[in-house]
Amino acid sequence: MNAFDIISLSPGFDLTTLFEEPRLKKEARFTIWRPASVIIWKLEDIGRVLGMKVSKREAGLLKMEGVKEGRKGILSIDAEIFELTPSFHLVEVKKCNGDTLEYQKVVNEGLRPGLEDIIWDWQQEQHVQPEQQDVQLPQQD
Amino acid sequence: MGCFNSTVRKPVPGHENPTILASQTAFSVSEVEALFELFKSISSSVIDDGLINKEEFQLALFKNRKKENLFANRIFDLFDVKQKGVIDFGDFVRALNVFHPNAPQEDKISFCFKLYDMDGTGFIERQEVKQMLIALLCESELKLADDTIEIILDKTFSEADVDQDGKIDKSEWHNFVTKNPSLLKIMTLPYLRDITTTFPSFVFNSEVEEIAT
Repeated sequence: MNAFDIISLSPGFDLTTLFEEPRLKKEARFTIWRPASVIIWKLEDIGRVLGMKVSKREAGLLKMEGVKEGRKGILSIDAEIFELTPSFHLVEVKKCNGDTLEYQKVVNEGLRPGLEDIIWDWQQEQHVQPEQQDVQLPQQD
Repeated sequence: MGCFNSTVRKPVPGHENPTILASQTAFSVSEVEALFELFKSISSSVIDDGLINKEEFQLALFKNRKKENLFANRIFDLFDVKQKGVIDFGDFVRALNVFHPNAPQEDKISFCFKLYDMDGTGFIERQEVKQMLIALLCESELKLADDTIEIILDKTFSEADVDQDGKIDKSEWHNFVTKNPSLLKIMTLPYLRDITTTFPSFVFNSEVEEIAT
């Protein structure tokens, strides 16, 4: 991931909000200071708790799917993991299918609290770094 | 069934001839009219003068007219081609044209370069990228240590800045984006394909006979 990938994340560049309601946001992002393998394990665990099916697609891409039909079909969420450094990752969560409100519920009541303890907090920078496994995802282009 | 030119038409602030704009862009006449519905709602939100000012743009983008954002400012400045501090309907349509899925890659690459060349020197300097990176980190949940920022900048410039002069020129940018097409993601708005279904009320305002497209 390069500097421009990061810069282009700004909502200031996202003109789609001119066309859609903001509360119907269909994407969320987190930075996590852990190796990718830990993040994948965490996401699988959260999926399990929420009763969703979690499957690994290509490198760094996870799919979380509801087992029952929701209001607008089966809820399907992509979680893509990008490496900033080997122990620092950006996770981008996106709704692929299903009802946006159900998606937001999963993000706000499932993913955010579930990932809370590993989302990087600036204040914790002074603490001892967690033991770093040398697991590297192939570089996302 | 047919449309006829209405001769008794109250002029709507900001309206420009859709046929001319359609001929200059990838949009059809009905798409231009649909864009006018969008333009009307944005340009009348603070001052009803048929022009989009910075506050109205911020309101449309962030639902908060007071929210200042470095990147939204860059977009605004590029839309405001005549540098008048306001965006008129022609500016709006011609700029959005670059974001159309069918717009030429060259136009997107060029617009994107100008976006990042904040001081308009014709080069994207390392310092500019650093400034934008830091601005992004400040406005989001992302936080990175100073040396991580330098590592990211080093990596970016070693790939993009081929002649290693500390800045990215237009041709280096062209090559860099060709190798990293995800960088142009922000330059395409799929919504523009369905604009006539998103803003259907144009049907009642149509002033030209619909030509089969």
